Amino acid sequence: MNRIGFLLDEAFVNMRRNPLVVSGAVLAVFVSLFLAFGALSVQELVRTNTQQWQDGTHVIVFLKDARDGITLDSQVALRSEIDGWELVESTEYVDKLAAFEEFKKLFPNSPVVDNIDPDVLPASIRLRLNDSTRYREVVFNLIDQPAVLEVVAPGESIENIAQLSRVLNWLGFGLALIQGIAAVVLISNTIRMAIYARREEVSIMRLVGASNWFIRIPFLIEGMIEGMAGAGLAVFGVWIASRVVGDVDAAISLFDFTISSGFFVKWSILFLAFGAVAGVVGSALGLRRFLKV
Amino acid sequence: MIKLEDVTKVYDGGTVACSNVSLNVAKGEFLFLVGASGSGKSTLIRMLLREEDVTRGTIWVAGKDITTMPSWKVPYLRRTIGTVFQDYKLLPNKSVAQNIAFALEVLGRPKAVIHRQVEQVIDLVGLTGKAERLPRQLSGGEQQRVSIARAFVNRPPILLCDEPTGNLDPATSVGIMRLLDRINRTGTTIVMATHDHAIVDAMRRRVVGLEAGQVVRDQAGGRYEQEELVE
Repeated sequence: MNRIGFLLDEAFVNMRRNPLVVSGAVLAVFVSLFLAFGALSVQELVRTNTQQWQDGTHVIVFLKDARDGITLDSQVALRSEIDGWELVESTEYVDKLAAFEEFKKLFPNSPVVDNIDPDVLPASIRLRLNDSTRYREVVFNLIDQPAVLEVVAPGESIENIAQLSRVLNWLGFGLALIQGIAAVVLISNTIRMAIYARREEVSIMRLVGASNWFIRIPFLIEGMIEGMAGAGLAVFGVWIASRVVGDVDAAISLFDFTISSGFFVKWSILFLAFGAVAGVVGSALGLRRFLKV
Repeated sequence: MIKLEDVTKVYDGGTVACSNVSLNVAKGEFLFLVGASGSGKSTLIRMLLREEDVTRGTIWVAGKDITTMPSWKVPYLRRTIGTVFQDYKLLPNKSVAQNIAFALEVLGRPKAVIHRQVEQVIDLVGLTGKAERLPRQLSGGEQQRVSIARAFVNRPPILLCDEPTGNLDPATSVGIMRLLDRINRTGTTIVMATHDHAIVDAMRRRVVGLEAGQVVRDQAGGRYEQEELVE
């Protein structure tokens, strides 16, 4: 017990002696892990949001009506034809009245609702596909059908979002990686300075026969604490950011900005562990050259 | 207790610090290493601590061949050897008691044991009542006593001293030598490198003379200078 207390004391003495350098190392870890955690969270948001799309309607077919000479029978005929297609899992028919109800729900306080004629809104067939990625083939088969007014597949815009998020992610992870290397180097440098500041103690420790691990451990603890402090700040930063973005949520209802707490907790623990490991690695690099027997 | 066999040390630049040195130091012996600066005294002491590796030859300390000892065992070697230097090597921001305790703390001794042993050794070296002083509040002689206390607190069988009186006036040096003599009489083997003629002449112990890294004299009860043979 005395040993552990002594080693921890030594680690804290080191950090108190060099607060500026220690803060630099902690901030570098923070920036690196914040970028990485941020990129990961954005990826998760895109995943959960596209998941909703994947579970929901993949293609909407708006139908022509009597004004275009299309009867209810031909609408029904089209639906049963679509039902027969291999790629289609299920279909749902939404008639004009149901479309109007939905419209009212989407724009509850809009004055437009009162002035709109329910007959203006087209009926539609909503399609769920077996494989949402193959929506293009279905759209291709639908556009030439005489009863079809318009085909809408949210897949395209979702693909754009996914593409954008992929680019942002690579950028985020790239920056995080570079910053991460910088953080490890900075920690290793901090440890070198700590060893230099304590060279007298270290030489006396060696003289009186302290084992190599006994000399190294306080420095490794110091690196670990710095890494974990940086990771803790990063986790806190992402939490704050997710709260701020979560408030925007209500305004833009197309996209759900809330990160599940399960995801957050799991990755917070992993990032703290990663910070600790990075700190120990940086510290070990700093020690390597200076503490030979 | 200490045995050197044909020990040679050549530094990277080609400087020969020790050349074919063979020496046998018995348990409980008090030995002076004398010679001019650069004669190899300090190198010899550093090799005994495994701070320097030998180029050729073998050194045994307490029955163990330290030249082939794996480096992870070196700390255990150093626990059997107390060391005292000319510049005391005390930590300036630790008190007398803390400086001495440090040597036991890094070995992971329990607090109660440390407290007891530190108190005892402070009395032994004649610093009773000065345990809480900082090194800068002590005279040179007192600082060297702290350094000896730290070297001896673990009761090592061997004490290596590199010019322990080098920074002290003659009167203070005598006090330090009395202390070392007392420690020697407890059965501790002492090897002391020195320039101090007066001390060597007064103590009349075994004297090993070094010149350019070679043993030129090994004399029981000797003086600092080689005595002329009087017919």
